[in-house]
Amino acid sequence: MATAERIAIEAAGVVTPIGQDLEAFWSALVTGTSGISQIERFPVGDLRVGRGGEIKKLSRIKAWGRVPDCRATRLLVSAADELAAHAGLRSLGLAPARVAVVLGTALGGVEEGETALAGDGRRRRLRDALYDAPAHNLARWLGCRGPVITVSTACASGATALAVGADLLRAGEADAVVAGGYDVLCRFVMRGFDALRALTRDEVRPFDRRRSGLLLGEAAALVLLRRERDASAHRLGTLLGSGSASDATHISAPDPEGRGLERAVRAALRAADLAAGDIDFVSAHGTGTPLNDPIETAVLNRVLGRRAHAIPVNSIKPSLGHTMGAAAVLEAIMCLLASRHGLIPPTLHLEEPAPGCDLDYVRGSARPARVRVSLSTSLGFGGCNAALVLEGAG
Amino acid sequence: MTRAPSLRALGFLSAWGRGTAALPDDARAAAGGRPVVSCGRPEREGERFRRATRGGLLALAAVEAALDDGGAGRAAIAGERTALIYVTAAAYAPSNRRFIEGRGGSIHFAETAPAVVPAEVAIELGVSGPYAIFIGGPPATLRAISHGAMLLEAGACDRALVLAVEVFEECADLYARARRLTGSPLVEAAGCLWLERGRGDLRLESGGGGRGAAGLRRRLGETFCCEPLAALDLWRGRGAAGTLELGGRWRGETARLVWTDVITAARESAA
Repeated sequence: MATAERIAIEAAGVVTPIGQDLEAFWSALVTGTSGISQIERFPVGDLRVGRGGEIKKLSRIKAWGRVPDCRATRLLVSAADELAAHAGLRSLGLAPARVAVVLGTALGGVEEGETALAGDGRRRRLRDALYDAPAHNLARWLGCRGPVITVSTACASGATALAVGADLLRAGEADAVVAGGYDVLCRFVMRGFDALRALTRDEVRPFDRRRSGLLLGEAAALVLLRRERDASAHRLGTLLGSGSASDATHISAPDPEGRGLERAVRAALRAADLAAGDIDFVSAHGTGTPLNDPIETAVLNRVLGRRAHAIPVNSIKPSLGHTMGAAAVLEAIMCLLASRHGLIPPTLHLEEPAPGCDLDYVRGSARPARVRVSLSTSLGFGGCNAALVLEGAG
Repeated sequence: MTRAPSLRALGFLSAWGRGTAALPDDARAAAGGRPVVSCGRPEREGERFRRATRGGLLALAAVEAALDDGGAGRAAIAGERTALIYVTAAAYAPSNRRFIEGRGGSIHFAETAPAVVPAEVAIELGVSGPYAIFIGGPPATLRAISHGAMLLEAGACDRALVLAVEVFEECADLYARARRLTGSPLVEAAGCLWLERGRGDLRLESGGGGRGAAGLRRRLGETFCCEPLAALDLWRGRGAAGTLELGGRWRGETARLVWTDVITAARESAA
């Protein structure tokens, strides 16, 4: 397999339950702040669990007049506002037709469908209910006229979006790509995970003996990707490689042996032309569900081999909730910030690792560490597995 | 520019029948006033398929049609060296609607995810290689072909299946409300393109226009993302060879795929 051309990650923008810019996001992660709260934006009284990582008020944008009344779009625009400021997008002099938008989402505009089916007769609601509508709305807001792409590999969507965005640059189809992921908390997804009994009434405790499920969150996370030769020296880091693989075993549950995830990780390492020994840090999918965590641990043990127990691993999902389409992008950004600050955020609420979960999980408090190369893993419904290999700018 | 894949096989099904040979001259007339022309629910034995979505069943039928077209059995595409790239604009809409309306808890939440349609194929046929899922109309299908070509060129797989599926019947009233039903009827369809390494060039241009699409749509009806696969099947059916141009338009975005040496390498490898 050919080594993938390295792709620079120049800048990022986020909106999350723990902070609506990179600085606040990072600060909350390292200080162990939780963004989990009672959901207030829609009724949850009939659900077993009514908590999640809800963003209470969008604070970055003051004038929403130009932005469709669609929460997914508004999260994206908030994140894009920060991205544009960090990247100096307007001053880069890029031709609009050479700037692409590639977004990953598990839910797209499904909340617009809920609203329309509840009786809102506006035609726009139905158009925005299709999963690719928020990406087109964002492209219009940014003035990007290159390809507009939506990918939806369930909870691995963010990783897929970064991989596809990188491929666009490698193929010369764009000179810059605004890539990322998003999803909103809405009745649809809360009811769904509640019915699956996947949500915990406790805290989210990845890899812990007492783990009992996940909580959901909402977020948008965007990065600006450019070919390394076109990028400025001032950057967040580099996407070295990516990989994906299907489990081909079950519609919703992960393969008990994690073979798809293992193939995805090995493919990402091959694309990056790196060996397992080059990995300094792993950002795990780490949902805190009974099934996910031991499977992921076993895969990391197999792939990382003898060094597996010497490589720090964390999960930031207890802080944010599982932000679905945004999760892998937020985790990739966290990896690059860990490199910049020489500090790995802790896995909140992890107290006593479970039998079968035997890696060096970062818990308690943030850990000083030299992080150059990170591995980030993602899994989703339908047997979707994805992995990213990233290098921090230091 | 990407190294072009070669076309090993193509399966295309629509509410008009199997292949583009089944297309009427005028979809609107053939629809006889129906706003949506449905494929119905493909029959398939086995407990596993009892709750499967129509989209998942159509996807399987399309892949099997591609296997028939390529004269190959299931074993030819099983395993981790086969990539699966799925495209749809709206095949998830019926399951989303059913779940939102809570009709008797008759649908498992996981089945609302677009990822479940290719998962039916992956599970049934043992396809466990790289994957991607693109959401959108014809430009997304052209993107999926390009993505398959990139995976082949990078050596990430030995064959790539591009799978497109659209179902509409359960949401016909919503499409009418959204005014998606002007002009052509909505016609359910599914297609599967089996790609292998080729030797021509492949170029995907944004803003390239949709040459020929209007004429095709008159015969086919509106099939969202399935349209480029129908165009490819028609092109092949005419005995054409050499360079193929496929266009597509969706939400104001246009794309054009220029694909040289489409079939030759596959013919040679089959020989």
